Amino acid sequence: MKPMTKDNAVDIEKELNLSNGNVSKGVNSVKLSQDEVKISAKDVRVKYGEKEALFGINLDMPKGKVTSFIGPSGCGKSTFLRCLNRMNDTIDGCSVTGQIIVDEVDILSKQVDTVLLRAKIGMVFQKPNPFPKSIYDNVAYGPRLHGLATDKNELDEIVEISLEKVGLLKEVKDRLLEPGTGLSGGQQQRLCIARAIAVDPEILLMDEPCSALDPIATAKIEELIDELRGSYTIVIVTHSMQQAARVSQQTAFFHLGNLVEYGETEKIFTSPVDERTKGYITGRFG
Amino acid sequence: MQTTIFTFTVLLLALIGFYMGRARAVSSVGGDIRQLHSLPRHYGYYVSLWCGLPTLFLFILWFIFEPQIINSLVLHNVTAINDETSSAMVARILSDIKFIAANGTNVKSATPEMIAAADHYLELKKIGIACLGVAVLAFAIVGLVIGNKNIGEKLKARDQVEKAIRVLLLASSIVAILTTIGIVSSLLFEAIRFFGKVPLSEFLFGLEWSPQIALRKDQVASQGSFGAVPIFAGTMLISFIAMCVAVPVGLLSAIYMSEYATPKVRGLGKPILEILAGIPTVVYGFFAALVVAPTIRNIGEGWGLEVASESALAAGLVMGIMIIPFVSSLSDDVIRAVPQALRDGSYALGGTKSETVLQVILPAALPGIVGGIMLAISRAIGETMIVVMAAGLSANLTANPLQAVTTATVQMVTLLVGDQEFDSPKTLAAFALGLVLFCVTLCLNVIALRVVAKYREKYD
Repeated sequence: MKPMTKDNAVDIEKELNLSNGNVSKGVNSVKLSQDEVKISAKDVRVKYGEKEALFGINLDMPKGKVTSFIGPSGCGKSTFLRCLNRMNDTIDGCSVTGQIIVDEVDILSKQVDTVLLRAKIGMVFQKPNPFPKSIYDNVAYGPRLHGLATDKNELDEIVEISLEKVGLLKEVKDRLLEPGTGLSGGQQQRLCIARAIAVDPEILLMDEPCSALDPIATAKIEELIDELRGSYTIVIVTHSMQQAARVSQQTAFFHLGNLVEYGETEKIFTSPVDERTKGYITGRFG
Repeated sequence: MQTTIFTFTVLLLALIGFYMGRARAVSSVGGDIRQLHSLPRHYGYYVSLWCGLPTLFLFILWFIFEPQIINSLVLHNVTAINDETSSAMVARILSDIKFIAANGTNVKSATPEMIAAADHYLELKKIGIACLGVAVLAFAIVGLVIGNKNIGEKLKARDQVEKAIRVLLLASSIVAILTTIGIVSSLLFEAIRFFGKVPLSEFLFGLEWSPQIALRKDQVASQGSFGAVPIFAGTMLISFIAMCVAVPVGLLSAIYMSEYATPKVRGLGKPILEILAGIPTVVYGFFAALVVAPTIRNIGEGWGLEVASESALAAGLVMGIMIIPFVSSLSDDVIRAVPQALRDGSYALGGTKSETVLQVILPAALPGIVGGIMLAISRAIGETMIVVMAAGLSANLTANPLQAVTTATVQMVTLLVGDQEFDSPKTLAAFALGLVLFCVTLCLNVIALRVVAKYREKYD
């Protein structure tokens, strides 16, 4: 296994006497029973063309809780997240192997219909990306695609409930027909979350949802994530370790395409087992 | 001939000036070029500019004023001209003199006086050239000496050279702008002359176009009528047919190329599509006239329709094909400018490719696409060669695409080709048509550029 190029990280590894070519299998201290697990990844490997990005990830994510992925840039955490709703299919030359079991179905299998899969597993992106349509149409986009509403009233209701859930309804009630791009950054991101939950998914994937937002908007989103927990299984990628500590119950630390350590968030941040995790969370590299 | 020699002499002097200036600058600091204000070559350019620029200016003045001075000197001695002679007569005498000067004395108009004038003319020309030569050489050498003398450690040669470059660039833009103004105003003045003979209302609202007018007084012909409505109707009809072909095909191919095609297909397909843009329009023209028009007629006859051998449909179809790459490459650009985040957003909600294109990408790219289409329309309206060859000349006022119609550009060509008298309404009508056409395409372009610019602001 060749480590990905990230010079400073490699230096630290050498310093920590860890890069002997065989990277450890990773510490996994999360023990979940069969019915607690919502997503189960087994030996997931990703290649972009010839370049390997993930080297066999094994990870069980619990139902109704928040799991966060942390790690330095280029460690493969976003790549792994995008595997969970097959978003990597849209990238040319990207191949994913292994198994990801969601509700007893291997979502990586060719038989799985990505349209239905993505209705079940929603995604929120790094930069707020509302469509150049009205706020109403943004939220109604998913339900319309999947035919979730039989008439206008039902659609209105879905839009209203979704906006209510993200706490946006009060703010935009009078301007549902104005363009979604006119909202502030934090509002846009909440609109995107409302858009995702309008199709009634079971899982929400969030790829650094706060990295383009100011601290106040970030606090609001984090609060929202906390509220949504329980109704949805949430997986969040974040660059901020504080954020991971605040919002998640489980934390997985990725490094150079490997899962280094996975455990209860509190444990990861207070008593990490792996030297690299220790190095990363204490700010020695990354 | 002599001017060529002068030019080369000046260029040679400028080149010498470059090396002299550079060498002088270097020697002024004893070879240590770090002490110079500017790089050595700037001093070289500085001397070259001193040598060349005043000379260039002299040349320009010469070419503007030399003919006028010589003409007035020559005509001064011709007794046939007095204050009452018309300017057309003066011009005619002048051209006679020049003709004698060029072709010798055994010409019909060669009276002794004219021959003398011709000799005088040739002599003046010779003197003029000699003067030019002396002046040019003097300017160049004086410039060389002054430039060279100014060089020293303190001279900010780089700043001077930058200034000269700035002036050069400014002059170039002024030339471009003045040319545009010149073209537009010539169009405008000729059109005004036309409207002096034919009322504006008749031109804009008249339904009959037949610009046959007697060229000479003894010729028998009708007065001619100048109602431009059938012509603009024809232009619109053909442009409409062209857009009906170009917009769907161009837009759909752009969507395919930007959203569906693999990089390999795209790398192959796009250049092939763009070859269409490189075909000369005259080739499209005979393709339209020799292939498409007969085919349409045969098909039409098979259905029992009456199709003219030169039909609006044939010209419009081929013009549409010509515009496809225009529409497709502009649309392709704006579609690719739609941020990937929007596509991801739609895919992540379970949107399929076509749903994403139709509901997210096209609405986002619409302003840009509209701008591109408007540019394409103004292109279609101004297109000449295809319609000249395939659309016919009869100014029918019809909406039937199977009949022959004519366009503004075709009429301008036919009005101005051949021997024409330049103050008959017939020829002047071409300028009026051109003016209207210019206004229409200008408006379309301005609107299109506005729309496109507005769209750009949004995503950059």
